[in-house]
Amino acid sequence: MHLLEVENLTKSFGGLKAVNNVNFHVDEGEIVGIIGPNGAGKTTLFHIISGFLKPDSGTMKFKGENILGLAPHKIVNKGIARTFQVVRPFRHLPVIANVMVALKSPRGNKKIEWIKTIERKAVDMLEDVGLTELMLEPAENVGHGDLKRLEMARALATEPDLLMLDEPFGGLNPLETDFLMKSIQRIHLDHPTRGIVIVEHKLYALMKIVKRVIVLHQGEKIAEGKPEEIAKNKKVIEVYMGKAM
Amino acid sequence: MIDVELLKSILLYGVMTGGLYALLAVGFSLIYGVSEVTNLAHGALFMLGTYVFFFLATPYGGIQTNLFLAFILAAISVAIVGSILYRLTIDPVVEDPLMVMVVTISLAMIMQEVLVLGFGSYRQRVPSIGEELAKMLGTEDLVVVWGVKLTYSRILAFALSIALFAVLLIYITKAKSGRAMRALSQDREVAMLMGINTGRLSMLAMAISASFAAIAGVLITSSTGGGVTYPHIWRTPLFMAFAIVVLGGLGSIKGAFVGAFIIGYIETIFSFAIDPIIASILNVPGGASLSGAVIMATMLLVLFFRPKGLFGKRVELEE
Amino acid sequence: MATTYLRRFYSSFLAHIYDIPPRLLALLGILLLICLPLAGLSARILLILTTAFILGIFAASWDLLVGRTGQISLGHALFFGIGAYSTGLLFYHLNWPLWITIPLSLIIGSLAALLIGFPCLRVKGHYLALVTLAFPIILMGLILYFRDFTRGDFGIWNLPSYFPTLPYTQQLIAEYYLCLFLLLASAIIMYKIANSKIGIVFVSILDDELASKASGINITRYKMMAFVISGLFATLAGSVNAHLMANGHVTSLASLRITLSFMAVAWTIFGGIGTITGPIAGVLILEILDKYVLTEVIDVPSSWRLISYSAFVIILVIFWRGRGLARFVTDKLEDFEEARDIDERGPKIWKTYKKKEKK
Repeated sequence: MHLLEVENLTKSFGGLKAVNNVNFHVDEGEIVGIIGPNGAGKTTLFHIISGFLKPDSGTMKFKGENILGLAPHKIVNKGIARTFQVVRPFRHLPVIANVMVALKSPRGNKKIEWIKTIERKAVDMLEDVGLTELMLEPAENVGHGDLKRLEMARALATEPDLLMLDEPFGGLNPLETDFLMKSIQRIHLDHPTRGIVIVEHKLYALMKIVKRVIVLHQGEKIAEGKPEEIAKNKKVIEVYMGKAM
Repeated sequence: MIDVELLKSILLYGVMTGGLYALLAVGFSLIYGVSEVTNLAHGALFMLGTYVFFFLATPYGGIQTNLFLAFILAAISVAIVGSILYRLTIDPVVEDPLMVMVVTISLAMIMQEVLVLGFGSYRQRVPSIGEELAKMLGTEDLVVVWGVKLTYSRILAFALSIALFAVLLIYITKAKSGRAMRALSQDREVAMLMGINTGRLSMLAMAISASFAAIAGVLITSSTGGGVTYPHIWRTPLFMAFAIVVLGGLGSIKGAFVGAFIIGYIETIFSFAIDPIIASILNVPGGASLSGAVIMATMLLVLFFRPKGLFGKRVELEE
Repeated sequence: MATTYLRRFYSSFLAHIYDIPPRLLALLGILLLICLPLAGLSARILLILTTAFILGIFAASWDLLVGRTGQISLGHALFFGIGAYSTGLLFYHLNWPLWITIPLSLIIGSLAALLIGFPCLRVKGHYLALVTLAFPIILMGLILYFRDFTRGDFGIWNLPSYFPTLPYTQQLIAEYYLCLFLLLASAIIMYKIANSKIGIVFVSILDDELASKASGINITRYKMMAFVISGLFATLAGSVNAHLMANGHVTSLASLRITLSFMAVAWTIFGGIGTITGPIAGVLILEILDKYVLTEVIDVPSSWRLISYSAFVIILVIFWRGRGLARFVTDKLEDFEEARDIDERGPKIWKTYKKKEKK
């Protein structure tokens, strides 16, 4: 049984097919990359899987269970977390509180220890991505690179079985990109059963960490395979002509 | 059995009320469409129009001009006041909807109290253009249409409203700035990307909106509201305008038009037919107070099924 | 045994209040208010302050809803009126004492909030603001229509008092302390809610509903929670207010007036939107200013007062948005730093407190 199984997913806007009959799956412990030129439908796919958009047709199964039609927060509760391409921090909250929002409330503890437990867990999450220094800083004051990491920490806080990252390397400098790559690999090692899906444009970063790549173009899946294979795939190169690798 | 006379009265009064309300509502919707401003001072501009007219057209202010001239001057002056107030107080905070509402309602309060200081808080008689017209034509202010008694005031008010509304429609379809306004109402981001100057356009929209409010003020108070105005009168047109616009969809001219007639008819049907029935069943004296509640309730009902109004924009990334 | 508790209490006091300048200031303010009646002030000031305490609860409840979840309510007077009329009608028709009618009105207010919450949750932004504006009008219309049942615009008079056995001055002072106590209790509860996990979730809804949903939050449930809590406290304010001497022991349509809804906004913007405590300070200062200084000391006619008030609000909004007094004071006190340009609404994690803990 696949962790996530998407079949014949289609979504149109007006006359335009943003996602056209897409099939793919993610298994436990896999890191899968989704690439494709702009407008290929990658983010739309994320929106559908995370419950923010309803597809016109198709099925989605998570751990064998049908998740089509569930509200976004319910999908998070089932174990799928996602980040956004353009960061969406909670500006009026300090960094640590951003993470606290996503943490599941522990059960059975007394109320006072509750907060302490949540705070401690939040600090742990921030350590995972290297943001502990900025803990008390209002998110409004935090730089872009750090916000990207905060976005990931927040997604991780929901303890997902499937983590979906939408362009996590967007706008990062080489140092930050390197750090993030290592973070993702470390997170993967810490939770070997967790699946990770990454949509990304920075192919040199992506190809190094994923096991399998899916290529989308104009809403359709045009190729799938190991990173080395995809890099040599004629159709993919054509579609990407002019794009830097 | 069905009372044909009653039906005819309802039909005609409903259409005329709808027409008047359309003028009032469309201004409110316009400024929202162009600059996303919920102008809670819209009713106050209505009121300002009536007072300027009152001041110019009666001996109260020491001048007494021709009624028609006073009418035009009222529309123009309120348009100017409206756009100046917009530039000074609303434009600086236009990105924050809550602050815009706070500012506009404060403006309404200020206008209310300024009028109290200037004219006192009691009712003032607003002369009727329709009556004047009838006098000029040498007839009584009474016309019988299709067996229903109507006044010149009402007919004139209705005709003027529809005419102005038509002019606005032509403006937003043909004129460059008008089309720009329409583009902004329909898809703000795209319109702004096309380089439309929202600042100046907003002031223009405000001028139009304010003048419509003022015109509606003079027409409605003189032809229906008993011919009076007073400094607290701004609340009713505000509630009416927003009930109509919310029901029809904020920013939609079509919505304001349709909504105005829906509300106009509901109000007419209620006061002519239902209110007397309820009054006799529950043994309570009838009252206008309930019609306001009924109108609001209708608005809520529509929102329940269409959270953005009948013709409002639909959001994609939600569920 | 007793000494360990005392010691714990004392160190907790030091950590949570004494070491945090703004809270220390608040404590001094509270002590001042407690001592005020003993200073032999005129009855007029005590009456004004008593009402101000109740209005403070009202303002704080509005801030909790609007400042923390971002659901714009322009008709908050609705709950004030529901509180006033619930207790009034229960007294009028059933002659029940206030210690029954007031708690019952709280239940009625909460139910009303639930009922009203449903349509309000489906509706966003500008639409929500206008819808909430409509509610008090609808209620007013209903009250006027069924005037035999509700006494219409005449109102319900001679509501029972809190301390009928005491002579006038002592009643005054007793009501003063009662309202001060209710204000403090309500403020502390609302403040604690705002700074708990629930409060943090509220702000996440304010900031970015999409991201909040993506973090697993059922925003509908939390919005409803905010509505009910806010409605509850506003209803409390309305029902307690009805029985006050300062209010003339009357339930009337004045409890639903649009000016009241507007004042909640004005006080909050002055005090600092999202701070909970700011609006309370705002109410106290502005009420003294408006009802005493500008009325008794210098006699300014009501029209001019209202005009100045409204102009003042406009100026505040244009130049300072909703930052408010509370944040201004906090910034100046905390690290003696310059005011930052943000208005935080999250749980305030006091830097001095955290420093002490790390030691």
